[in-house]
Amino acid sequence: MKKINRRDFLKKTSAAAAASATFAHVPGMAFSQSMGVAAPFNDYKALVCVFMFGGNDSYNMLIPRSNAEYNVYAASRQNMAVAQQDLLAINPLASDGTDYGLHPSMAGIQNLFETGKVAFINNVGPLVEPTLKADYMNGAAVLPPQLFSHNDQQDQWQSLKGVATSNTGWAGRVADLIRTNVVNQQLATNVSLFGNSLFQSADETIAYVMGNTGPVPFTGFTNSGDPNDLFYQQRLAFERVLAASHPTVYERGFAEVQQRAVDTVDLVSGALELAPTLNTVFPASQLGNQLQTVAQLIAVRDEMMMERQIFFVAAGGFDSHDDQVMNQPGLLGGISDSMAAFHDAMVELNIADSVTTFTQSDFARTLTSNGDGTDHAWGGVQMVMGDTIQGQNLFGTYPDLALDSNDDVGGGRMIPTTSADQYAATLAKWFGIDDLDLDMVAPNIDNFATRDLGFFI
Amino acid sequence: MNKTKLISMTAALLLTLSACGGSSGGASPPPPPPPPPPPPAITTAEAYQFLNQASFGATTGSAADVINIRFDAWIDQQMQTPTSLQLPYLRSLPRPQFLGELHADRVDVWFRNVIDGPDQLRQRVAFALSEIAVVSQLGALINAPYAVADFHDQLALNAFGNYRDLLNVVTLHPAMGVYLSMLGNEKPNPTLNIRPDENYARELMQLFSIGLVELNIDGTERLDSQSQPIPTYDQEIIEGFAHVFTGWNYAGAPTFQQAFQNDNNQTVPMQLYPDFHDTGEKKVLNGETIPAGQTGDQDLQAALDNIFNHPNVGPFVAIRLIQRLVTSNPSPGYVQRVASVFNDNGSGIRGDLGAVVKAILLDDEARPDMPMEIDGKIKEPLLRLTQLWRAYDAASQSGVFPLAPAYIIFGQGPMQSPSVFNFFSPFYAPAGEIRNSGLVAPELQIATEYQNTFITNYFFILTFNWNSEEPNPGADDVLIDIAEEIAVADDTDALVDLVVDKLLGGQISTTLRAETIQMVDRVRTGLPGNDAALAAEAIYFIVTSPEFAYQR
Repeated sequence: MKKINRRDFLKKTSAAAAASATFAHVPGMAFSQSMGVAAPFNDYKALVCVFMFGGNDSYNMLIPRSNAEYNVYAASRQNMAVAQQDLLAINPLASDGTDYGLHPSMAGIQNLFETGKVAFINNVGPLVEPTLKADYMNGAAVLPPQLFSHNDQQDQWQSLKGVATSNTGWAGRVADLIRTNVVNQQLATNVSLFGNSLFQSADETIAYVMGNTGPVPFTGFTNSGDPNDLFYQQRLAFERVLAASHPTVYERGFAEVQQRAVDTVDLVSGALELAPTLNTVFPASQLGNQLQTVAQLIAVRDEMMMERQIFFVAAGGFDSHDDQVMNQPGLLGGISDSMAAFHDAMVELNIADSVTTFTQSDFARTLTSNGDGTDHAWGGVQMVMGDTIQGQNLFGTYPDLALDSNDDVGGGRMIPTTSADQYAATLAKWFGIDDLDLDMVAPNIDNFATRDLGFFI
Repeated sequence: MNKTKLISMTAALLLTLSACGGSSGGASPPPPPPPPPPPPAITTAEAYQFLNQASFGATTGSAADVINIRFDAWIDQQMQTPTSLQLPYLRSLPRPQFLGELHADRVDVWFRNVIDGPDQLRQRVAFALSEIAVVSQLGALINAPYAVADFHDQLALNAFGNYRDLLNVVTLHPAMGVYLSMLGNEKPNPTLNIRPDENYARELMQLFSIGLVELNIDGTERLDSQSQPIPTYDQEIIEGFAHVFTGWNYAGAPTFQQAFQNDNNQTVPMQLYPDFHDTGEKKVLNGETIPAGQTGDQDLQAALDNIFNHPNVGPFVAIRLIQRLVTSNPSPGYVQRVASVFNDNGSGIRGDLGAVVKAILLDDEARPDMPMEIDGKIKEPLLRLTQLWRAYDAASQSGVFPLAPAYIIFGQGPMQSPSVFNFFSPFYAPAGEIRNSGLVAPELQIATEYQNTFITNYFFILTFNWNSEEPNPGADDVLIDIAEEIAVADDTDALVDLVVDKLLGGQISTTLRAETIQMVDRVRTGLPGNDAALAAEAIYFIVTSPEFAYQR
């Protein structure tokens, strides 16, 4: 049965509230998620967000390789340019007339692209509305506030708030929208392995935060149920203290986190103990560890009755104001190796058609150099990976990298031609959000002609 | 209005009335004014509250000092106390082959100073400043422990100095130069599309001085006619400052290009290499420009003056220091009172940090008579540890505090921030009632399920394994002294009350006290004859509670 969107419903029904109470009891009737009444999903899907903190210089990740376009690139980038002969060639299924290559450290991604498991999204970034250079220059464009500022643009990618004030992230809103679809899940839809994030912050649901290698159990507690067990009594007493009424908002906030930690650790640790040993070898890095743990959690999804999961993992160090040429191979190579290992693990677990990995980052970086590095810019290239991705394709328009081109607002800062809202809406729709609810995930989506970038099969 | 103020106003009113009555009599001389009533005695709870704001943790001894000499004199005394430094200690150690190993010793000496140093207020303010003007060992400074130690020393030395001087010290310190890449920043080279590095220019304004949007003196955002916040700067101003900060590199090198880090130049202010400084005109804040043709130092001083005199600096610094020392959500009035002192210390001087710190700590809102549910804050994780260690005279046999991985265990460590954005954001608001009420709780950003469990476990090991009853401690094990608890261990109530006195200044909720007593009694039954476990249980159960995590 076709799902009914809330606004459709309200439009078509004069007594919406009364009707919804009645319809809610009709067997098999699936309301839109925004109604808060929905059928369970009958499949499993996971989104894995790989956030590159600091601003990835992604025009050194996907680089024009054919002579004419490479020369434009090299003229802009000067001492930041990757040598043409070092580029790892890729062969997109549909050509935009330019040949492309990848940074030489990204053999893993090259292989996944060529085998159809990875696609690139060109020149994507936070936008409120389609923005032309002339409008930017004369102040006519409505822009996301504080462009080029780290935390503000991280917040834009994670929240898509545009000019609005919002304290929720788009993954958080997705989790809120589907919360009545996933009532059987024992663990929160949102799990972070990189601390609290705005991305997963929500009004109704709360993300669970664990470490690189999972949660840690409480040393001084057991859940034995044995009244003579001191560690069991300690846990009960600890919980009674947490549950007491606390006089300040701070103690209550702190106690909530502690209570969630006590409630969840046995479930997750217990499930992880059942995870199979993976043959896939992950890089021994923070990101490698995080993605390995995500793979293990996905392996035990049925133990926790999970139907939808959004994982937040991240790597830092991308703010390459200094020593960029020296550091970029390690940064991009680290992303490539970790993502490739994660894809291998998904294949090994036979779940690669249900797991989509995607990247986000504060911004791309200036095409011009500050001597030995680059500064904060705007639109950049992102990657999506999985068996249901239309891999070996480039989506959106690769910008004109000539300085002062129509894409450049100065210093080689590219105006995005695809919005982060479109990127997120495409991912959210695959994940199971009703098309007409996508503006609750991506609030500016209606300002753009295309709601679905089409990078899923 | 607070009670003290009300009483003193009532007294003044009565005084006025009696004076009027006296004057109507005519000939008789006016009676001498009665002496002012003595201020009410400071309670232990008030002393604990004050010392948890002004030191690395209240102790029974320091509380007695404060009760004796009162807040004002204690602050004055602290401001006269010489600075406990880190760099001389690091320089005294043999140079390891890999210099980065000295970061462990740098963390060690930080703990020595904050646990046992006499300059508690100075170290506490330096810690707060280190979370505003952030540099970190994690990243480009991994091989520059001398630089990081000296940067901290400079924050401590300038903790009660002038913010303008601090801006100068911070800007020219090679630790900051490396961390935010002003060091080696050169003038434009148009043929190579090289333009000045914008990193320091941007973060100096966003994070160290004025922030992103214009503020009223009470810290609220100024709004334009469309009710939108007003940005403090744009990209052109960033580029103006980026051009100012060109031409600086390690001091003492023959040329700009030959300025490489060595053991000595990492603690000497950066030097100007004039050929690499851009001498063009630069657009800066407040509609001002820096004229062409000046020296690099003239440009730099003009730029720092320009920032320092921006009206945002007072409320910006006030909010951040109040948040670090006293409360997450100061009232606009509190911010305004402190920002006014920043703008003018009473002697016409702007930027007097000593006066600002004093205004923060002596404000009525730092010691409310009727505490509200939004007063106070969550303690930073490191402060939970230092308070416990100070309250229990913690020490290792070797004298070392071996906590180099503090940032892993506690989610924060001395000069171990993950980025220039500090361990947490001043704007962080967890979902739920705090966010819904428009409040913030910065420290809760790092109070994740994972980190809190890690800390809870660390306190378990600390209390049960690293105490003075431990028969065979390692030389570097930091042991808490539980001898006084052992002495009263036969009496559960006395034992728990002693711990409550030391850790909470005698104030504890009925629930926490009752549960602690019951847990101690369970341990008494379950582990008969183990007095150390009784003491450890009482301490562990209290330090892991929301009550201890909260700073009143």
